Formats: sequence, C-alpha cells, structure tokens
Amino acid sequence: MEDALVKCDVLVVGGGLGGCLAAIKASEHDVKVTLVEKANAKRSGSAGTGNDHFWCYIPEIHGKAGLTVEDVVKDMSFKGAYGKLTEGFIDQELCESIVRETYDRVLDLEMFGIKFRFKHMYPWNYFVEPGEYEEAKFRIVPQFQSIPDTLNYEGRDIKRKLTKEAEKRGVNIMDRVMVTRLLTHEGSVVGATGVNTRTGQFIVFEAKTAVLQTGRCNRLYPTRTGYLFNMQDCPNLTGDGETMALKAGAELFVTPARKRGHGTFQYLKNFTRASGAATTCYPAGRYINSEGEVVIEHPSAREPLRARREKVEADIREGRLPFYLDLTQATEEQIKYVEWSYSNEGLCWAFLEIMRDIGLNFRKDIFELDLEKPGTISGGGVGIFIETNCATSVKGLFAGGDLVQPAGGGSGPQAVVLGWRAGERAAEYALKAPEPMVDERQIEDERRRVLAPLKVENGVTWQELNIALNSLMTDYRDYVGGLSLGLNDVRSKHGLESVLNRLRELRREPVHAKDPHELMRCLEVLNLIDVGELLVKAALDPRIYEKGKWFMAKLVVKEIKFFQRPIVYKYRIE
Amino acid sequence: MPPKIDLKLCTGCKICIDICPMDVLKEGEKAPVVAYPDECWHCGACMMDCPKKAIRLVLPIPMRLVAIRIKGK
Repeated sequence: MEDALVKCDVLVVGGGLGGCLAAIKASEHDVKVTLVEKANAKRSGSAGTGNDHFWCYIPEIHGKAGLTVEDVVKDMSFKGAYGKLTEGFIDQELCESIVRETYDRVLDLEMFGIKFRFKHMYPWNYFVEPGEYEEAKFRIVPQFQSIPDTLNYEGRDIKRKLTKEAEKRGVNIMDRVMVTRLLTHEGSVVGATGVNTRTGQFIVFEAKTAVLQTGRCNRLYPTRTGYLFNMQDCPNLTGDGETMALKAGAELFVTPARKRGHGTFQYLKNFTRASGAATTCYPAGRYINSEGEVVIEHPSAREPLRARREKVEADIREGRLPFYLDLTQATEEQIKYVEWSYSNEGLCWAFLEIMRDIGLNFRKDIFELDLEKPGTISGGGVGIFIETNCATSVKGLFAGGDLVQPAGGGSGPQAVVLGWRAGERAAEYALKAPEPMVDERQIEDERRRVLAPLKVENGVTWQELNIALNSLMTDYRDYVGGLSLGLNDVRSKHGLESVLNRLRELRREPVHAKDPHELMRCLEVLNLIDVGELLVKAALDPRIYEKGKWFMAKLVVKEIKFFQRPIVYKYRIE
Repeated sequence: MPPKIDLKLCTGCKICIDICPMDVLKEGEKAPVVAYPDECWHCGACMMDCPKKAIRLVLPIPMRLVAIRIKGK
C-alpha cells in the first residue's frame, strides 16, 4: 500500500474537547487546518458521550459574591480540594489565565449550540432563588473551590456539536488515524507521521506547526476490576502525545507518585465513572456505612478532607464496611436532577440505561462504592510543559488540554481554555512559518517501526504486554511508597531498578498485530511502556519531590535527562 | 459480551461501526459483529446513536454492579 501525503498549515493531533476547539479557533485564521483523531471525533475522547459539569469563574456572579481570581488560584494551588492534591506544584500564571478565560469559552460553547442556561432553577443551585425565570440562568453547584463555581450543563452531545462546527469551518477531519511521531527539521516541528487504524495505510503529514491534544495517559495502572478498559477516562489515551513530544525534544513535567488517598469515593463498585462522586450525585447522594449510618451527608459537602478521612478510617477500623451510595432518602425532584446530571456525563448515561435493563433504581436500591483507601499511593504521571501561550519548548509545537502540566485547571476548563488558545497561537505561528521541509530518513525509520508488528509472526499480543506493564507499574508504586502502606519516604532503589530492567525486557518482546486495529493497540502499549520507563527512572532520582521545584524530563542525545525548575508563586497562603 | 445488537431491530445502517470510540464493531453479513468485545469501554456511544434503539450494553461479569434493594421490594 502506498503512503498517503497530507499537507496543511496547522495539524491538530487528537480530536477530543480540546482538539476540536483548537481546530475551530485555528480555522478563524487564513490557514489550512487538519484535525487527526484516533476514533471518530463525533464521540471521541473523555467527553465523547458527554460532560455534565465544568468549573467556571463568572466575574459578575463570583466577583459580586466576594470570590476573586486570586482566591480561585489559591484554591487550585493549595487550599481547595484540588489544591490539596496538586500540593502547590502548579503554574499559577497559567492557572490564572485559565480562570480568567473560562467564562469567555462558555459563551463560545453556547454559540456552538451547547446548553448552559436554564429557565428552571432548583433550591440547591447557588446564587439564585429557585423557580421559573424568563431569562435562562446558570445552574451553579459546588466542586473544587471554596465558593461554588461549577456549572451543571447539557453536554451529552458536546462532541457532536463541536465536530459539526469544525466541519462547517472547513477543518479537514481525519478519523481513525493514530499519529505516531513528530517530524522535525533543525529543531522545529514540520509535520508528523500516522497510520490509519482500519486500513493500515501509513500517512505523512507536512505541516507548518502541530498542536498536541491527546489527553492524559490512561492505561498505565491496573483497573479496579482487572477488566482492561474499565476506567474513568478514554482508554484510547495512552501517552501518545507525551512520547512523541519527548522524542521531538520537548520538556516534560513529571508528577511524582505520592500518598494521595484521603478516603474518597469516586465510583460505584465495578463500574468506573458511574459516579458516586461530588458533582454528578449532587445534591442528594449520601454515603452510608454497613450499619446505615451516614458517613458523608452528601458528596459535595464542603467538609475538610481530614475530617472525612477520620470518619472513613474509624468505620474501616471497626469493621463497618462496605460503604454505599444512598439516594433512597432523596426527594423525587432531587433524584430527577441526579438522573439529568448522569444523562449528560460520560459513561453515566449508559449506566442509567443498564440500570433500567437490569431493574435497578436510585429510588429503591443502594449501591456499593469503591473506596479510594486512605493513604493510597497514586501513581506518578507526565505532562507536556508549556508556557502560558501554549508553546512547548520545541519550536512549532503547541499543546493544550489534559496533556499539559502543571496547569492545575482540572480536565474540562483546561481542555476548553487551553485548546482554544493553542489553536490560536499555532495559527499565528503558521502564518509566519516557512514551508515545511520533511526528512525522508525520519519518515522511513518511523514507517519501519510502526508497521513492524504486522510483520511479526508468533509474537506476543498487545494485551499480554499491557497486563504485564500494569503489573510492573503496581510494583513501581509499591517501591516508591513502602509497599503501598502510604509511607512516602521509603523508596526502594533496588526494587525500582528491578522494575526498570523488566520494563526494558518488555520493550524487547516482539509484539504481533493481526490487523490494523490491533496495530493501533500495539503502538499504544509501546507508548505506555515509554511513559512507564520515564516514571520509574524519575522515581530513582532523589530530586523528584522537592517543594517549590518542578521536576522535569528531556531527551538529550537519546538519553532522558532530569532537571528542576523553580516554581514562581504569584500568590501564597500564610 | 457488550454491546448486544438486536438483529430484529438492526437495519444495518452502520452508524455504530462508524461511531464506536474503541472500534470494537466490524461489518457483518446482516448486522455489525462485536469483533473486539474486551475493548468495550461501556461508554454507550453505539446505544446513544443507534436510530433504531437496537443496541443494549451487557456488563461483563467483573463489572457487574453490587446493589441492595432496601425499599419497596
């Protein structure tokens, strides 16, 4: 089969929420935009079947209520539920720029047909009295911040609507294509290579600039049930952006594996993303223990994490497990609201349908919860380091969305604000950039690497590699955190070196793909192994966790080098 | 084995094959076939976009829900 050649000015890699907005914004300029998506942009990415909540700072509402932009940035970096997790390892300038633009992006999303305002308001929506209104209003609920700022909205078809808008603006959308490598010329990005996951055709992209929007890396760690794709975010997101950026010379930000668990309940048992958590079960879902005693009144209660953890730990110590999500005490109006949220959020719409099929009902049944155990070691992660203008450290390469760190924006707002901005900056760059000059040798090397699994006979399967990797990443977490006993400072050097050696062995296994679909999965696992290797190497470096410093990685002559960048805080708390 | 397609309702329009984010469906003789059942994310896109409501999701054993009926048996 002959290669395909695609020429454009702006190449957007990844067609989720952020990628679609990047392509839409870029297309406002006089540039040719191509959007490449591994699945079908109409339903792809972590918001493929919807998103029901999105934090947004609205000056005329929150400003009046006494919440300043500074307060939100402090919440995101130290104080709020989210800040406690990020431990100050965020870029406050970038975070502030997200806070300031969330509302503008919501107004744009409304123009693309996404419904954010409603005429009926409920008693639990903030800043407005319940009742019917002539002029529709935002349904504001609590989430991360000290003052409620999260909009509940009808985002089930957000991806369909954004795809339609991109098509209307002349964006060339290429579905079922996995981008595998960035092409560079004298240190600047000049295109990429990819493969069609249905035909196996190899594709060369010549582009003046590229925008990476490939989301966060999702298949590194084992799932709760052992079922490979049972996870919150899209299983197609496998570190593709991180690995291709690293190979092109970009700086990555490394989040260390840390003790994170504070006794939260994210999901209903066995169905990850059927949310028991905060916003989606607002305002009625409460958590009870096995004795029927209320552990947390409702998930969005602004209860200090430590208090919550103490209650959860007491129940564990005294054997009052399991915990349940209980909506049976809620009013019909509250349950209808929860079902409305569910019907717009990710996998939750499907969950409601499944519930109906098997005869379960929030009005009558309580659901066992999966507990994120207090003291759990969460695995580390990587993200592409960007400036506030979404430029990476490689010329001609921009990035946005969940893929970039350390923005501290949270998934939705970060995708929407930084997607939009990355698209705009990339288009401006493309208008001044020279014609791309691609290097045939880079293309040939990548063609050989990418198509190899189709030629391997009697090789291992991608599933075997993926499961082996998950198991190794569990070992990594154990060796970082004292066998996952929540002991942060008992890193085992020999343990980590053993994991690293076994990861290198994994990489050498000949992996076999029987068709282009499996080829995609093979290439994904190879990317995951790259990310895993980087994390384990990073964990061996004693500088990985130092307050006030970001820990960074960069490829220098085929070797990963780690270094630190001092964090500049604009806002601190006493 | 998710998703489950009702052959009596399916008209063979192929929207589900086109839309599935995990690409688990392939063209079959009459209706789509589930070519890669283990890769289903249970996102419901196929079920959501099927114009004939011919698709349901059946949870695999490890993902079955754990619920207790406490009101109005």
